[in-house]
Amino acid sequence: MAKTVLVVDDSPTMRQMVAFTLTSAGYQVVEAGNGKEAVGKVNGGAKPDLVVTDLNMPEMDGITLIKEIRKMPALKFTPILMLTTEASDDKKKAGQAAGATGWIVKPFNPEQMMAVIKKVLPG
Amino acid sequence: MSTDLSHFKDAFFEESQEHLTTIEEGLLQLEQRPGDIDLLNRIFRGAHSIKGNSGMFGFTAVSQFTHKMESVLDQLRSSQMVVTVEITDLLLQSLDCLKTLIDCAKSGDSPDDVQVARLSAQLEACQGGGAPAAKPSAAAAASRHSQVPGAHHFTITWVPPRYLFQRGLDPVQFIKELGELGSVTSVILDPSRLPALKDLDPEQCYLGWTIEMETVKDLKVIEGVFDFVREDSTLTIVDTPPPADESRGSSEGAKPLGEILVETGVVSQSQLNQALSQQKRVGEILVEQKIATPEQISEALKKQTEASAPAKKAETPSIRVDTVKIDRLINLVGELVITQSMLSDLGSRFEMSQLPVLLERVAQLERNTREIQERVMGIRMVPIGNAFSRFPRLVRDLSGKAGKKIQLILSGEETELDKTVIESIGDPLTHLVRNSADHGLEPPDERLAAGKSEQGTIRLNAFHEGGNICITVEDDGRGLNRDKILAKGIKQGLIAETDKLSDEQIWMLIFKPGFSTADKVTDVSGRGVGMDVVKRNIEGLGGTVSIKTSSGKGTTFTLKLPLTLAIIEGMTVRVGKDTYIVPLLSILESIQPRREMIKTLIGKGELVNVRGIYLPLMRLYEVFRLKPELSDPTKAILLILETEGERVAVMVDEILGQQQVVIKSMEQNFRKVEGVAGATILGDGTVGFILDVRGLLEIARRDVSIAA
Repeated sequence: MAKTVLVVDDSPTMRQMVAFTLTSAGYQVVEAGNGKEAVGKVNGGAKPDLVVTDLNMPEMDGITLIKEIRKMPALKFTPILMLTTEASDDKKKAGQAAGATGWIVKPFNPEQMMAVIKKVLPG
Repeated sequence: MSTDLSHFKDAFFEESQEHLTTIEEGLLQLEQRPGDIDLLNRIFRGAHSIKGNSGMFGFTAVSQFTHKMESVLDQLRSSQMVVTVEITDLLLQSLDCLKTLIDCAKSGDSPDDVQVARLSAQLEACQGGGAPAAKPSAAAAASRHSQVPGAHHFTITWVPPRYLFQRGLDPVQFIKELGELGSVTSVILDPSRLPALKDLDPEQCYLGWTIEMETVKDLKVIEGVFDFVREDSTLTIVDTPPPADESRGSSEGAKPLGEILVETGVVSQSQLNQALSQQKRVGEILVEQKIATPEQISEALKKQTEASAPAKKAETPSIRVDTVKIDRLINLVGELVITQSMLSDLGSRFEMSQLPVLLERVAQLERNTREIQERVMGIRMVPIGNAFSRFPRLVRDLSGKAGKKIQLILSGEETELDKTVIESIGDPLTHLVRNSADHGLEPPDERLAAGKSEQGTIRLNAFHEGGNICITVEDDGRGLNRDKILAKGIKQGLIAETDKLSDEQIWMLIFKPGFSTADKVTDVSGRGVGMDVVKRNIEGLGGTVSIKTSSGKGTTFTLKLPLTLAIIEGMTVRVGKDTYIVPLLSILESIQPRREMIKTLIGKGELVNVRGIYLPLMRLYEVFRLKPELSDPTKAILLILETEGERVAVMVDEILGQQQVVIKSMEQNFRKVEGVAGATILGDGTVGFILDVRGLLEIARRDVSIAA
């Protein structure tokens, strides 16, 4: 069965691109515009095998989202990748401390993104 | 896998526009509320998104510049800097520059590097507490690891952090990934850290591994596998290289000869450069050998440049639609399909007794169709707020330039109208707002002297009225000066001194080309171009402009526009066997004249007296050379039509009814026909022409002058 990826980003363009890349690679995609929406989608029954989230978002940012997800028994061990603009260590550390699995540094191309996803998502 | 993302570019540009607007609005509000963190965050996010997205498409100029803006914004939001007028000014200027950069990215033009460089420097300079540390360049990082070609034999000892599972990581994934980079020859599990069963937490990772592998990839790539856990892992990677292999099995391409010679110390870099500079270009060699003439070469080079110049892409306009709107539409289409299947079911076994059912179904179909039509039209409808959003900035700039204090109040931003209409009213509205700021509002001292508050107010409002949208631009300034306009009108020969004009007519003078009462020409307005353009543009959209003014109290310009350009409310009329549509908006009344109302004057043609006013009478069948049923005006119907304040009586045989018609362009499908604004397809499938009232008036005027 196709794996489901929850894509969280407040920029529709970014979201669409990530979603498009994932769909082309055969994944199912659930989109959310911010952390709050993402939590809503999960509570509403979405069962992602992977979460890809931006960090800087309105309503609920990525770090908080990661913490929220790690609190959910069903998603405790689900890989979470964060999208960051800078390869800044602060952000990475904060993300890791919150429970993020890894990161994808923007700008990235579809191949780079898929490479990282393959790293963390059992095929 | 190669995935082409270029078709998301349009989405990027559109989204960027929204972010630009957010940033601009935010910056303007920031002046009033400098400490508002939410606001700063919103501005920051806008810039951040543009930066991130532009990088994805390789618009480095955009992303680099936005990065500089973002750094300043970041310092503002973390309170390392305070919002000052200088900083806001700089950020607004930078925003303009960013807009240009994005436009350039869109069109493929090259941006104004000087301005970009200047603003970049200013943005960097204004940041307190030292510039951010330069990131180590990728090149430097890469050179740390020598690129020894050939196979490696790595021994990797890895003890992952305990929390491995809690971060969603899986050790098997790491080993799998190593397997993809080369061949893993052995994996040995190290269970030595496993605690006693009673102390074991199944969510922790106690294991370690020793992995041996052969690969052509270098150390850096192997280290990369452990990127996400490196900090907390105990990781050693030892390279036990096999005997040096003469054949270069490098996955990298072979280096140029020169580079190898420099590396091995045979020649120095400068010697190499000198040698390279002596290399001739193909063109030069060919000319030297007299195979080609210099002219031929330069001709060919020109072709090459032309071919490599990026072709400017035609812009495909797109629209962002609320998904709710689409969902409703899809529901409706679903209903339509149901109605259709009910109808075909009924048709397959129809009996006369079922007629009421049929009629009911048809009524349902009608309802579905109308609703779908409305919804589809609704897709093109966007809130006018988009067109209003540029004005706070404009007014801010204008008040600075004119030395006036101006407050702008917007209302009715949520009023929706057709996207094409919105796009076309931007310029006329700008003219009107400029005009109000420059001519309408008085300087502060004059306002105080007149007993008004120092700050002038411009109000922009939009609202629906019937099938129209009204937009008003209102100022509380000095009002239009009747005598000054009259004097100027006479001086410029627009009117004669003896002309008796109503106030309305006098106000309309300001829309005449070349008219300006400004004592001096300013940078902003007063050149006498603008107001006539406003009127022309608005009328081009099928709208009207009107003025209300009161001396010393202010002026209001009201623009009345149709909601959409694609569908009009029309009156269907018949002339002989043909059906015409008259735009309902231009019909004042319809009358059946009495004999004594009709006069023929030499030089003025046929006239009809409507309550004391003589209007030119046009027989539509004469204009379009038709065979009428009625040629006697007292038996036919006269439609009194008005446009731009002029009236004409148009004679038709019969009024058939009123309906909404979809306008099909004549120019695009056939050619322009005088007196006809377009065509439409009528209920019975025949084509009906839509009358162009302004064109008819022109024909009337010309015929009279010929007759005269």
